[in-house]
Amino acid sequence: MSETMNLVAPESRRARSSVEPGHRPRPAGSRGRSVGRAILYIVLIVAAAAMLTPFFWMVMSSLKDANSVFSVPVKWLPEVFVWQNYVDIWTRSDIGVWIRNSLILSVAVTALQVITGSFAAYGFSRIRFPGRNALFLLYVGTIAVPWQSYMIPQFILLSNAGLANTLWSIMLLQAFGAFGVFLMKQFYETVPEELSEAARLDGLSEYGIWWRIMMPLSVPAIASLSLLTFVNTWNDYLGPLIYLRDPELWTLQLGLKNFVSSLYDTDYGVLFAGLTISVVPIAIIFLLGQRFFVEGVATSGLKG
Amino acid sequence: MKRIIIATAGIAVGALALAGCSSGGNSSGDGVAEDGSLTLTLSGWSVDTTPEFQLLADAYHEKNPDVTVEITDYDPTDYNTLVTADLAAGKGPDIITQKEVKYVTTFQEGGQLLDVSDVELPEGIGGVESYEVDGTAYAVPYRQDSWVLYYNQALFDQAGVDYPDGSWTWDDYDAAAEELTSALDGAKGTFQHSWQSTLQGFANSQNDADILAGDYGYMKPYYERVLALQDDGAQESFNTVTANQLTYQGEFGTQKAAMLPMGSWFVATLIAQQSAGEADDFEWGIAPIPQLDDSTTGTDATPVTFGDPTGFGINANINEDKVDAAKDFLAFAASEEAATDLAEIGITPALLTDPVVEAYFAVEGSPQDELSSFAVQTHETRPENPTSNKTAAVQNILNDMHSAILSESQGVDDAISEAEERVANEVGLD
Amino acid sequence: MTSTATPQRASRRRSRLRTRNTLLGWSFILPNFLGFATLTLVPVIVLFYMSLTNWNIFGSSQFIGFDNFVRLASDGSFRTAFVNTIYYSVLHIPLTIIVSLGLALLLNNKIRGVAFFRTAAFFPYITSIVAIALVWNLLFSPDYGPINEILRFFGISNPPGWLTSADWSMPAVVIISTWKDMGYYMVLFLAALQTVPRELHEAARMDGANVFQRFTNVTLPSLRPTMFFVTVMLTINSLKIFDLILVLTDGGPGQSTTVISQFIYRKGFEENDFGYASAASVVLFFLCIIVTIVQFAWNQRKSAR
Repeated sequence: MSETMNLVAPESRRARSSVEPGHRPRPAGSRGRSVGRAILYIVLIVAAAAMLTPFFWMVMSSLKDANSVFSVPVKWLPEVFVWQNYVDIWTRSDIGVWIRNSLILSVAVTALQVITGSFAAYGFSRIRFPGRNALFLLYVGTIAVPWQSYMIPQFILLSNAGLANTLWSIMLLQAFGAFGVFLMKQFYETVPEELSEAARLDGLSEYGIWWRIMMPLSVPAIASLSLLTFVNTWNDYLGPLIYLRDPELWTLQLGLKNFVSSLYDTDYGVLFAGLTISVVPIAIIFLLGQRFFVEGVATSGLKG
Repeated sequence: MKRIIIATAGIAVGALALAGCSSGGNSSGDGVAEDGSLTLTLSGWSVDTTPEFQLLADAYHEKNPDVTVEITDYDPTDYNTLVTADLAAGKGPDIITQKEVKYVTTFQEGGQLLDVSDVELPEGIGGVESYEVDGTAYAVPYRQDSWVLYYNQALFDQAGVDYPDGSWTWDDYDAAAEELTSALDGAKGTFQHSWQSTLQGFANSQNDADILAGDYGYMKPYYERVLALQDDGAQESFNTVTANQLTYQGEFGTQKAAMLPMGSWFVATLIAQQSAGEADDFEWGIAPIPQLDDSTTGTDATPVTFGDPTGFGINANINEDKVDAAKDFLAFAASEEAATDLAEIGITPALLTDPVVEAYFAVEGSPQDELSSFAVQTHETRPENPTSNKTAAVQNILNDMHSAILSESQGVDDAISEAEERVANEVGLD
Repeated sequence: MTSTATPQRASRRRSRLRTRNTLLGWSFILPNFLGFATLTLVPVIVLFYMSLTNWNIFGSSQFIGFDNFVRLASDGSFRTAFVNTIYYSVLHIPLTIIVSLGLALLLNNKIRGVAFFRTAAFFPYITSIVAIALVWNLLFSPDYGPINEILRFFGISNPPGWLTSADWSMPAVVIISTWKDMGYYMVLFLAALQTVPRELHEAARMDGANVFQRFTNVTLPSLRPTMFFVTVMLTINSLKIFDLILVLTDGGPGQSTTVISQFIYRKGFEENDFGYASAASVVLFFLCIIVTIVQFAWNQRKSAR
């Protein structure tokens, strides 16, 4: 498996093409390997089917009419394909506004989380100062408190500051979470000290080290953090529910739920159409941004 | 050192936040213009499909051009949480719609509701007791739903079963359900929604029981009946209803069940769905809900059922200049005039005088027979939720019991005694 | 750094270094910390204070000391919620780690369509909770659901009631929750696997180590910081679980899937007993912290080697 560990780094790409061993299957034992491959594929396909079945049902249901979505017995394929659901969602609701708001929030929160989080993480992992560990524990500790426990005092605070019912409230709420700090700190710990030492000897300030050395090295971590933060903000329901009352500010999840439940009877077909639409951007981002999770950078330089 | 500074700052801000917590502040904005015209904010939900708020607001404005009632739209499923959050932050509406009786005491004990005992209410208006705490009224009902029995006349004809005639007890109901199921091809005799109220509401009201007293033995026969119906296939099992998210509108509307005990709000929905084509086109009627025994059956008696009112309360922190207008609005909402307007859009008002009932049944698509009229107008509706700060906790425990019994995870006796124990232990008996 | 420094000068230099480090450290932390302190730390401190009062959100609160905690100790529902939470976590945590790490290892290869498989694994995480609850309720439907149909096909005549049965509801919830989370933790593991130096693997292979030995001696140790992160996050998230169970079963049937977070929500938002709910939150907090500290200490010891 190690032969296929895909460390596609800019510097090492050149080296890879000439030196890379085992890129082609060796003649000896190749049949054993292709059986292994076949089994691997089968396992993966079964697993993928398990993963995607609920999603498949959701998409199929988005094409059913309201009263056929839930039926006894379970119907997998719609009898009549109600494409109208997708049209309804666009024309009868303000889904454009909701998508815009969700996008603004997700991008802003992600950017803020990544920057302030990794900045703080550097302080926690690379600089020894008194009280560091206790403070870090405090950070992690707040993750341990369920949000609904302190959401009312938080709401009162933000409301008194005049920020409730604005997009700022959500941005402030989500952007300074302990999660980003925690994730980046752990990742920084995998970067050997020698690199920073060398840089210090070269005269780089700590800030310089952070920007020039740590950030480029932590591309997979940054990519993961960005993705996860984006997804969390995109799917967040309770936060926008409490803070964003003005329909102009609604996010996608909020708008969908409200649109659907304000019909006489929850029209699940239309709801699923909306939910399917809401999943698509993230799936695309993930598909395209895949390689960043598995792209290490100049790992070969670490042990040099 | 730095830590101490941070800690102190933290405590200071915390103290500030707490100070903000207990003040409450004014109701949103001011709403008092220089020329004397006022704006009252009112909390509503799903404004697009719940026209009652706008209807009342417009009707009142016509009579009082100086006063405008503005509706603030809240999410229906989390209405209580959101209103609570707003009130806590001092940004609540002037007129607080009481969506559920369970939460009235919370608002009242928290000093959020104004005393409205001096608002004049018409004779015979239902639901008033639900808003009284220690003799003082804190809200005014404008709407009172009650539970009735809907039945599909087409399916009854097909199965050759007699329509309900107002004299049914639960035994008659069971028999009809079984007969219908065996005669019909595929459709069930009846449908019971998964809410705890579909069973406990009747048990409580027809046994004149107080759920806060902590004794629930009287529910046993009701549960045994329903379990029997489930086992015989006369109604869809509780597990299937929850797992498959069956909706009562869908099941009755697409004729998968011939009968449906449900609240009176369903009338408007069914009419709308039939005209939109979402529900099948069939003749249906409303009958009084089956009774516990013969003493309350028949059209000469008053059937016992349950239901909770919906009402308006006034924010205790409302601007003083607006109090009179607010109280006047409340009086209007409870008046016969408003009730007639509400009836015309299919809402069951709290005041059910003859003109109101006539308007109710004048809507196209509503059943025209005598029994339906009787069922809607004549009933002794006992509150679903007693007005007390223990109600929510007790109802949660009873809901757990409900799901345990009907999912057949626990026996009826076991579940009931467990519920009784929990209420005594966790809530405390008066 | 000179060896001729007197003790006094050395200690002064040490404290100057410490001050410098403190200032430096704080300069990094401050942007994040400011936001964190005002928006999270302060409300949390208020929460702790509330647990010692009988606040019902509107009225003024009265300090009642530890009464709430005493009440919690004899509250049967709380005990049930506590036990359920532990039950859920004990099942969910190891299962998720094994599955997501396994997936990450499998999908760390350059095989055809790997991008598709990774996306498929991530789908459950990005699907809305509402959709997940609806779909899985259907799949697990005892009489009509596909899962029981398959089980019956394989000869199991009395398949479990899953989400509608008090005995099987929690295992069903664990299955759904693991299904949902594996993509999330897989992403984290995938990123971490990139930091495992290839040279070490090469060297180990030359030494004749097989796949399993390479895994335990090269991969796992390199993954430690991430493994620690994953375990802590997974533990805290498991102990805190709320939304998913709420939409799946609402704590039922009976109380079989009621967890601490739901207990807190009910007491706070449905029964308006905020002081009591805060006390329960504090208990949950300490539960998480103690487990985290244990993991923290374990991690420190291991990394000190």
